[in-house]
Amino acid sequence: MDVLKFREMFLAEAAEHLQMMVDILVQLDSDPEDQDGIDALFREAHSIKGMAATMEYAETARLAHHLEDRLDICRKQGRISGVEIDWLLEANDLLKLLLEDIRNDSTERSIESFLGTIPQESEACPPLEGKADGPLECDQGQQIQLRLRDTVVAPGARFMVLLKRFSDFGTVLGSTPSAEELLQGGESLHLAVTLKSDLFQQQIHDQLLKYSEVEEITFVDEAEVKKEKQPEKRPSGKTVRVSTELLDHFINLTGELITNRNQLQNALRERQWEELDDGVGQLVRLVKNLHHQVLQVRMVSLQGLTGRLSRTVRDLARNHKKEIEFQVVGAEIELDRAIVEELTDPLVHMIRNAIDHGIEEKGTITLKAWRERDQVLVQVADDGCGIDPDKIRQRALEKGLLNPSQAQTIRDYDLFQLICQPGFSTADEISETSGRGVGMDVVKTAIERVGGLLLIDSSPGEGARITLKLPISLAIIRVLIVECDGSWMAMPITRVVQTVEISPDEVQSSGKQLMINYQDELLPMLSLRKILKRPQGSPPETIPLVVTEVMGRKVGLVVDRLVGQREVFIQRLPAPFDQIRGCNGGTILGDGQIVFLLDLQSLFERRRS
Amino acid sequence: MLKRVLIVDDALFMRTMLRDIFVEIGWQVVAEAENGEEAIAAYEEHRPDLVTMDVVMPEMGGIDALKVILSQDPAAAIVVCSALGQKNLILDAVSAGAKDFIVKPFQRDQVLEVVERVIAS
Repeated sequence: MDVLKFREMFLAEAAEHLQMMVDILVQLDSDPEDQDGIDALFREAHSIKGMAATMEYAETARLAHHLEDRLDICRKQGRISGVEIDWLLEANDLLKLLLEDIRNDSTERSIESFLGTIPQESEACPPLEGKADGPLECDQGQQIQLRLRDTVVAPGARFMVLLKRFSDFGTVLGSTPSAEELLQGGESLHLAVTLKSDLFQQQIHDQLLKYSEVEEITFVDEAEVKKEKQPEKRPSGKTVRVSTELLDHFINLTGELITNRNQLQNALRERQWEELDDGVGQLVRLVKNLHHQVLQVRMVSLQGLTGRLSRTVRDLARNHKKEIEFQVVGAEIELDRAIVEELTDPLVHMIRNAIDHGIEEKGTITLKAWRERDQVLVQVADDGCGIDPDKIRQRALEKGLLNPSQAQTIRDYDLFQLICQPGFSTADEISETSGRGVGMDVVKTAIERVGGLLLIDSSPGEGARITLKLPISLAIIRVLIVECDGSWMAMPITRVVQTVEISPDEVQSSGKQLMINYQDELLPMLSLRKILKRPQGSPPETIPLVVTEVMGRKVGLVVDRLVGQREVFIQRLPAPFDQIRGCNGGTILGDGQIVFLLDLQSLFERRRS
Repeated sequence: MLKRVLIVDDALFMRTMLRDIFVEIGWQVVAEAENGEEAIAAYEEHRPDLVTMDVVMPEMGGIDALKVILSQDPAAAIVVCSALGQKNLILDAVSAGAKDFIVKPFQRDQVLEVVERVIAS
């Protein structure tokens, strides 16, 4: 390729574009709201950027790109300020120098220091008295009231269109009626919008005049709105304290997201797939970051709980005339507030049980919390007499939870989990705080509701330990997606010990049960197809296996295919689907596919019973 | 540059009427479509500046077509046309991303107003 020839072409054309820019800028100086002018300017900058990028003149392309960004903002504001024009003229001079560098075959000069002079997008808020016709960007936004002509045919839809238009002007903080109400068919000829925008009142007014359906436009004085709103100002219900540091993070993130949006919009407009790809990559990072920060806001430590718990210990100890020490380890561990709220009653109950049945006269109860990967473990341990396996066994036999042969073979560990069966109680007599067992099923249900797991462990004479494995946050979780009979299903990654693919030769059988040797441990193999009552598939060459823990026991769950991990937003299923056992929610994947979240625990329980 | 429009309506009468209005204001009618599927194909081919989309059409209706087009080109400027009694359909169309709407029977001036502000925004 004749680079020299292309370079000459580039230099000549770029010079033309630059000259054109100067001409337009001068015109705009006298008519700063000339849309066509601003558009033309944008196109010029865009052309230079495209050519420079193709020729790999990085600094020139970068500067042109910045011009484009600035002009895009001007375009949205519908005007260009004097400061902006000055800056653009300077940028134009710098571009000319860059072209000189290229012509002289020397390295392009750095534009870094010049970029530092980019005019700030939002200058300080104008003083309050100047708000008669100021930008609407400060404070809480401004309320704009619209009234439609009574001849308007579909006022609801018209307001929807207008609300969208308002969101072009800036950020719609709220409206009466709201978009949801409008969509539900709420019809009224009045609409009040609270808008935060950096456009001027007059500009918005002019835009609204284009809608002949609108009969009256009123910009309401902020003070008046505030006066009206005062009584209902107090937010009802739950409030959160947020550190200013965290808020700063949010603001920074918002800034980055805006830049990202601009990049994506540009890329889309120019159909620059590579840039689009790059932008989406950035978006992924930003959303992840945002997710993380939002979760931070929701996080609270267990500290708030421990006060109440030590009070429970003290009161109960006095009632039972026992001497009990309460130790807390790891109270600083943080969890989603929703989980912590759900945790209060179960923990109180577990502590009651420990005092009532575990500790005889004197002892220690330890509440311990720690992080393990994506999980938080909370453990209540006592150093009392422990759970008597024989008592449980006997009780289980009486209640028909086990048959005699099962009672012989069941391991102590599995036996303990039976305590959580509804109605199970080994209390010889009913005490004030009730027998261990009454309520343990409630505790278990509460823990599972937040996606957790409850494990009971005890050795005679060494006390009992009840451990809760909890997800750190609700709603957005990481899942493993598997395929079964053509459908995709998800399970929380916290439930997955490991995924393996085994060859059919590795399968052993023990009676009717297929087993697999996993790290020197024989695990029963269970087929997801069988559990879900799907037809048996054709025998595969390798068997994909999800090793998971159910009722404290590892099992190998056979699936058709391991699809992969995703971070998903779990939604509860609406009634009556929330009654389906074995499924505790669903999520919609990027392609619109609905994937159900398997509740392994209850799936296996169903199978057992 | 000449602005380009795609007219989608199953009724020849409506198409003709809209065509006349657009031709009169100096627009180029790049294509006409009689149902949603044709509309999607025509949009893909011509990428017009504006689409007027009838809501109720045989085979694929206007709202479905609108969703498909917007999924392929989020910047598509689509104005739906709907009869008086179809308020809910209009709401659906607007929430699905229609830029504006025209209620039939319409006057030339109403069309012009809507076209002008959609193009300006």
